Amino acid sequence: MTADSLDPLIHAPARLRIVATLAALPDGASLSFTRLQDMLELTPGNLITHLRKLEDAGYLKSKTTGNGRASRTSITLTRHGRKALDTYTAALRDLITGL
Amino acid sequence: MNGEGDATEAVSTDNGEGLDPREAARLLAETEREAQRQFDLNPLWITVVMSAIVLVAYGALWLSTHGQHPYRGPSLGVVGLVYAAVAVTVAASVKVYRRATAGVSGPSVRQQQAEGVAILVSFVLGSPVLQGAMKHYRASDAIVYGVFPAAAPLIIVGTTVLGIAASKADWPQFGAALAVVITGVVAAFVGPSGAWLAAGIGLFIGMVGYAAADAFRHRRAPLGA
Repeated sequence: MTADSLDPLIHAPARLRIVATLAALPDGASLSFTRLQDMLELTPGNLITHLRKLEDAGYLKSKTTGNGRASRTSITLTRHGRKALDTYTAALRDLITGL
Repeated sequence: MNGEGDATEAVSTDNGEGLDPREAARLLAETEREAQRQFDLNPLWITVVMSAIVLVAYGALWLSTHGQHPYRGPSLGVVGLVYAAVAVTVAASVKVYRRATAGVSGPSVRQQQAEGVAILVSFVLGSPVLQGAMKHYRASDAIVYGVFPAAAPLIIVGTTVLGIAASKADWPQFGAALAVVITGVVAAFVGPSGAWLAAGIGLFIGMVGYAAADAFRHRRAPLGA
């Protein structure tokens, strides 16, 4: 097994931290964009780019309420995303064991 | 997708190329630990501080009533100290809860709030109502101001938490709640003054044991990193 076998969507520092942070919440719980940004210390633009990639893959879903400056975005890890992280973690464990 | 505020700054291209698997494992473990710490509703430090406060408060109640013949109950000064201790622990718990759940929403948060209400109702209503009824029917001071207020809250609140823990399959919490209920049962049979001491020691052991089990559970890294 090589590093190429790891899910490329998760195997990137920022996206790995995003998915791992959201996975620490109970199943179905959402986290606000601002709290996630504070926790990961990423710029809004950077975070949005990574969230889009993960959302396009169905790993997470986002919901925006309100308009303009009062808008609030919350992000939820989907079951598909949680399963993808589990698979990634197992593959990483196998890879490290084999090194 | 829109976050709050503008997001017009340059975006880095973080595609993970060259990310070493060992580095990824370290990053994953570190992120999980940090996230669990930030979302933790029962951080170790607050449980340890609360346990110490409980031990001091119940110890003061025991010292205040130790050697009373006939039993009259704790002094008003000590009762005031205990209420102050309860107020401090409640305020600290609320602050920790608000910090941990800031920006978090969903069914799990609503469930936690409902659990909090259930525990609060059982604590505020369960014991004092029955205590008042006992006073009304002229039960002795040893029962009204000793055995009952020391033992009953542990049994009533402990049983409530026991049910909540069982429904979530949270076995460390289940074990701690069971220890608290057993402590309440023991406290009910060691006399009005001894009840305070038994309750204090049992609560302290239950809380510290839960904190240790919870810390051990959270320390296990997914990759052994």
